[in-house]
Amino acid sequence: MKNEIQTLLGRPRRYNNIDGSCDMMFGVMVLGYTLLGYLEAVLPENSVWRRGFGGMLLFLAVLVPMFGLMYWIPKVIKKRVTWPRTGYVVLHTDGAFPSGPARKSLWAIMGVTAVIAAGLAVLVGLDRGHDWISLMWMGNVVVFVAGYGYWTWFLERGRLWRWVVLLLMVLGVLAIGLISPGNFVGMRWVMLLFVGLAWLGSGVASLCLYIRHNHLPAPEAE
Amino acid sequence: MNDQLRAISELDRVIHEPGRLMIFVLLGAVKECDFLYLLHETEMNKGNLSSHLSRLEEAGYVEIEKTYRGKVPQTILRLTRAGRGAFDRYLKGLKAAF
Repeated sequence: MKNEIQTLLGRPRRYNNIDGSCDMMFGVMVLGYTLLGYLEAVLPENSVWRRGFGGMLLFLAVLVPMFGLMYWIPKVIKKRVTWPRTGYVVLHTDGAFPSGPARKSLWAIMGVTAVIAAGLAVLVGLDRGHDWISLMWMGNVVVFVAGYGYWTWFLERGRLWRWVVLLLMVLGVLAIGLISPGNFVGMRWVMLLFVGLAWLGSGVASLCLYIRHNHLPAPEAE
Repeated sequence: MNDQLRAISELDRVIHEPGRLMIFVLLGAVKECDFLYLLHETEMNKGNLSSHLSRLEEAGYVEIEKTYRGKVPQTILRLTRAGRGAFDRYLKGLKAAF
């Protein structure tokens, strides 16, 4: 009885990502951070875009569109696709962004990232000879793949194809790392790009499946 | 009458009906939703769902708001404070009974 009620209570939570909008949001986030990290890594040490006002402009030029897309993609999908098909729902965390399970996953990812960053900050302080920043981005690859795994387990564990995507994500990251032997960390940008695109693609696949299985109801639905 | 039997006899019959219990559980998990969402999730027919919602509205457990989304009529539903209290009491009663 308790389990059945808990399953029912969890339905609105799962409904949040029924159209893949949360996956797309996370995919955009990964791609945004990847672009920012890549630009910072490839720009020359004395570039105006790495210091002061220029650095801040570059930061904003990537993060503002990223957060804009993270906000607008779910909003547009819900309004134009999901609500007319299977109904409108506002979870209890109304007004906060992101809401419901997306927020929990985001906090989990941010928490793990913060722990990795703090650990690396300590290591950088102890030993300046190593390229800890590159290792930090490698840590991000792990965090994002783990984030997709957590998200799948948390909300969509019944969907086999998502576990296949997770497996492909892991194998893809390993394969990319092995393309240039001995330079696993050097391929971090390609790995992050792959993870971001896979996450985004997973959201698009969810949206396509959702549209395919849920048609617009007749106008006199109520 | 022992305590367990008393707890069963004191369960709120408005909530206890399976269809309405399903509505309560779904509404309890959200801030608000529309009729279409409940129709989709409960898989009831429109008449059945409407009659259950009317019963819950009469009991003061559910608030029903008729509005429009663009030009399309929309019925927004949410549990009232009394509804949430009644649901909490119902769940406690159920635990006490079993």
